[in-house]
Amino acid sequence: MEKRLIKKDALAGIAKKMAGDFLVWAPVKKEDNVLFDPLQKDGEPYFAYLNSKNAPKNVFFPHTETMMKFTRTPKGMVFSAEENRADQSVLFGVRPCDAHSFALLDKLFDQEKYQDAYYVAKRQSTTVISIACVQPPYATCFCTSVDGAPVASEGTDILLTDIGGDYLVEFITPKGEKLANYFGDAKADAAAETKKNEIAANAAGMIKSKIPAHEVKPILDVNFDNPFWNTIHGKCLACGTCTYMCPTCHCFDISDEVKGADGVRIRSWDSCMFPMFTKETSGHNPRSSQKERWRQRTMHKFKYYVDNFNAIACVGCGRCVMSCPVNIDIRKVVEDISKL
Amino acid sequence: MQNPYIPYPVTVDKIITEVDTKDIKTFRFKFVNPEDEQKYAYIPGQFGELSIYGKGESPIGIASSPTQKGYVEFTVQKAGVVTSALHEMEEGEVMGLRGPLGNSWPLEFLEGKNIVIVGGGFAFTTLRSLINYMIYGDNRKRFGNITVIYGARNPGLLLYKDELIEWQKRDDLNINVTVDKGDATWKGREGFVPAVCKDVAPSKENAVAVICGPPVMIRFTLPVFFELGFSKENIITSLEMRMKCGIGKCGRCNVGSKYVCKDGPVFTLAELDKLTPEY
Repeated sequence: MEKRLIKKDALAGIAKKMAGDFLVWAPVKKEDNVLFDPLQKDGEPYFAYLNSKNAPKNVFFPHTETMMKFTRTPKGMVFSAEENRADQSVLFGVRPCDAHSFALLDKLFDQEKYQDAYYVAKRQSTTVISIACVQPPYATCFCTSVDGAPVASEGTDILLTDIGGDYLVEFITPKGEKLANYFGDAKADAAAETKKNEIAANAAGMIKSKIPAHEVKPILDVNFDNPFWNTIHGKCLACGTCTYMCPTCHCFDISDEVKGADGVRIRSWDSCMFPMFTKETSGHNPRSSQKERWRQRTMHKFKYYVDNFNAIACVGCGRCVMSCPVNIDIRKVVEDISKL
Repeated sequence: MQNPYIPYPVTVDKIITEVDTKDIKTFRFKFVNPEDEQKYAYIPGQFGELSIYGKGESPIGIASSPTQKGYVEFTVQKAGVVTSALHEMEEGEVMGLRGPLGNSWPLEFLEGKNIVIVGGGFAFTTLRSLINYMIYGDNRKRFGNITVIYGARNPGLLLYKDELIEWQKRDDLNINVTVDKGDATWKGREGFVPAVCKDVAPSKENAVAVICGPPVMIRFTLPVFFELGFSKENIITSLEMRMKCGIGKCGRCNVGSKYVCKDGPVFTLAELDKLTPEY
């Protein structure tokens, strides 16, 4: 489909116009943080940010969601599936790294066997509109080391790139094309395309932080028992912030909540950093200390996900690096592994 | 789209207390909607998630055989929140059942071979499913000699006591039941499972050993089978891990890159050797 140009200052208006027609998740400023929230009628989207504080994975995989409802009866229980209808919605203005994470999560949640009904319903009904990163990035950004780029379309339906006075609008998927009428009728010419490519190359060059993410897979294959694993977790508080912030972490717990005769089964984000995560009823815990849990997190991202889906489960957003209260840096961990 | 997280409603049809200590019971479930039984078509070695209102779910191996129509059985030890609630259930109550989940005993691989089944204690449930499947009608012809070695700490802790007696009457089954320590009425074999395996000494020729039991039993039984010449490709076991979703998504039951719930629970020793020793 042809590419379009929109004026830079038209962006908020487009988001607001969409919000009149369906649910729009957009970046909004909340105190010091930028977070993705449903855009309210009088709300103002906020685009002057490098990235949102939290990853927007909660749009498809909420912190807590109801899986089913049940009612206690004298004969036991009667249950009903939560109606799993997701309304058409738009996720407006995510960064390419976070859009990349959706493509990675799809591999897990949208498998042929065992499709995750809750995730897939929301994913299918949501159009992802990304805004490419053209400003100098955070020092912790390393997307170019993990198959991403500051200007990239993986996992997105519409990509917007700031090429000076205008945004170049690219409709990546048929789902994105369906929203084309929101983006005016100014066709982009070849010059706009050339300009975008220059900007993309320049933006990629601004990502200075690099990690040998692809080199460590064969090293991890043979170093499960390496004493190196004793060296990372010493200061880890097991707070789970890294997994909470991570756009690709997807572990969850399932639990029941009851009030009187009615109850719900919910799933909530969980974390491989927590001791209880793998603790069995017998008391046995296969990952009995923070050492094993750190090894699991590292292995999962840079080996297990590669084994299972041929993709590294990290998009280089750097949120875990920025948010770790004790400054454990996954980039250093990967760097150290590459030297084993 | 079939939502794999939603259980089928089942009625507790029958509860059988298996052991003297009364903390292991077999629960027979019937599907509330008869058409669900077809959807629950399972293979021995698979498991289900037993789902109880307000308590949650527990992954348990299926103890009945698909040749037993009209119901599905699970033998459950009272241990945690869900299994304790299950033990309080009464016949006629309705609860939930998800699955069938996981891979299974590799029936095609087992066909035409001599089968050695080794079970210890409470871990005999999916082995019982396999035995009942193999000896059912014409199925028996598809397998060679079947040798069963099953042990419990004492006679009161043996599961499926009536069935063990029936099996011992058959001439196409070699059943060896042992207890660590007998009591006044026990006339059978005494001794630990590894020692009995050594004594029975099943031949490795065209044979596969299917072994399930507590870790200590496995630890001492495996060397016996190695000595008998069984290869790691021909020794099969089933793993247990803490599970929630049962379909490889929630992230807690992986051993290396394999999910015990989805890629297991059944593995050959050769396969386990390739995984990380984290279970």
